[in-house]
Amino acid sequence: MSSVDESRAVFRIENLSINFSAKRQSVPSPLQGLNLTIHENQITTILGQSGCGKSTLLNALGGFVVGEDSGGVLYRQRYMNAPLEEIVMIFQENNLYPWLSVAGNVKFGLRFRNHESVDVNATVQRMLDSVGLSSAAGAYPHQLSGGMRQRTAIARALITRPKVLLLDEPFSALDISLKRRMHGLLRSLQEETGTSMVMVTHDVEEAITVGDRVLVLGGNPAQILVDADTSSDAMRDRYSNAYLQLQKRIEDVIY
Amino acid sequence: MRLLDWERCAPWVVGLASVSLLILIWELAGLRDDVALTTVMPPPSQFLSMVIESDFRIGLGSQSATLNEALLATFGRVFSGMFLAFIAAIATGALISLSRFATWSLSPLLFVVAPIAPIAWIPTAIVVFGISNVTAVFIVFMGVYFILTIGTLAEIRRVPQEYLTISGNLGANRWQQWLYVVLPSIFPGVFTLLRTNFIAAWMAVLVAEMVGLRDGLGAIIMMGRNLFNNELIMFGMLVIGLSGFVVDRTLAFIGNKVLWWRVK
Repeated sequence: MSSVDESRAVFRIENLSINFSAKRQSVPSPLQGLNLTIHENQITTILGQSGCGKSTLLNALGGFVVGEDSGGVLYRQRYMNAPLEEIVMIFQENNLYPWLSVAGNVKFGLRFRNHESVDVNATVQRMLDSVGLSSAAGAYPHQLSGGMRQRTAIARALITRPKVLLLDEPFSALDISLKRRMHGLLRSLQEETGTSMVMVTHDVEEAITVGDRVLVLGGNPAQILVDADTSSDAMRDRYSNAYLQLQKRIEDVIY
Repeated sequence: MRLLDWERCAPWVVGLASVSLLILIWELAGLRDDVALTTVMPPPSQFLSMVIESDFRIGLGSQSATLNEALLATFGRVFSGMFLAFIAAIATGALISLSRFATWSLSPLLFVVAPIAPIAWIPTAIVVFGISNVTAVFIVFMGVYFILTIGTLAEIRRVPQEYLTISGNLGANRWQQWLYVVLPSIFPGVFTLLRTNFIAAWMAVLVAEMVGLRDGLGAIIMMGRNLFNNELIMFGMLVIGLSGFVVDRTLAFIGNKVLWWRVK
């Protein structure tokens, strides 16, 4: 287990229990009494089987679902009960508005924010440059590949300069080579901007190579089964001993 | 290359051939005096020559009008009614989706009044508005508004939750979400519904013109009936059919070129 340094905590999850209401009934999620701390300025990846509660946890971090009164999510020492502008989420699909071009979608990120001092078009252009989409600025989402669509979504999220970026299996629909390029892009953007990122995935390789910290969620009620520091360079090499050992350890737990 | 050209032309060629064949059979039947149907359905050569001879003026004396005036009157009524219904349906959709009170109060009314055929409103409309353009526009409005509102609500329910979450996350309030996300999401779908309901609106205005109003394409048919002029009836029917076809194609073009996106 990695040591928990409270001063570096961006989220503190305290006794988080989430129940869904369906047809006037309360349906419990696997998240019952979960405790966890997520650190700032790094990429935390959350792995787990389908239905383990990882997406629910991400939604709770975004303030889109609120836990029972007995506990909850603390974002910088404040309990969250609604989404905050400084925490932005990227989904697996439906991230882009089909009636807006790539530049229009990225610009949409600034539409509702106070940005008087910002040259919007220059900022959009800079953001498109950083995700390698300058040449596709005028294209519409249906004309883009899956990777380009997700890069646009990332650009729109980052243009708002969020403190936290939440990603819900953002690359699961991409082929392996594209996925690896996106991993590199995400890591370099994180280093560039210092944004804290939390990414949910079911791909073990993705979790280790992208994350600075990998959490494996499992069981019912859900617990953290593995909490590994993956910030070292060795974890970026899929053939290193450290990587392979961790991969085996995680796969033994999950499967 | 030649094959590709044929592929492109085939629908037009076959379509034109089938229409030409129909006209040919019609004309051949019209040559025989012993077929009673030709008196009721005179062939195009007869009714078109009659209309051309009268310089496209339809009717007698002070009540006569040119074809352009009739077309303009009918189109004006249909498009005014459809435009008002389109705006009202989207406004009602917005109200119902944004306010629970509006849902509770308007939904029952909507579903009770929707099944009433627009034609059934004609007597009431004539009493309230008199025999005027307002009556015709009202009939078209009633024929389109309810179906369009129910369709708008279905389109709103189809808007992906992610769209709303993302815009909310980026700082949009509920009204801004409606304006910048829901409205563009539903626009193409509602417009397609408007196009499919054009036929209903078109029929409603023709009936209104037949029973009350003195001008418009529907009135041409009634004038033909009153004057025992079957050529005029046939001509009126042909113009109605062709106009409906042209409008439908125009709406389809707008739908494909202007509101081209589809929210899946």
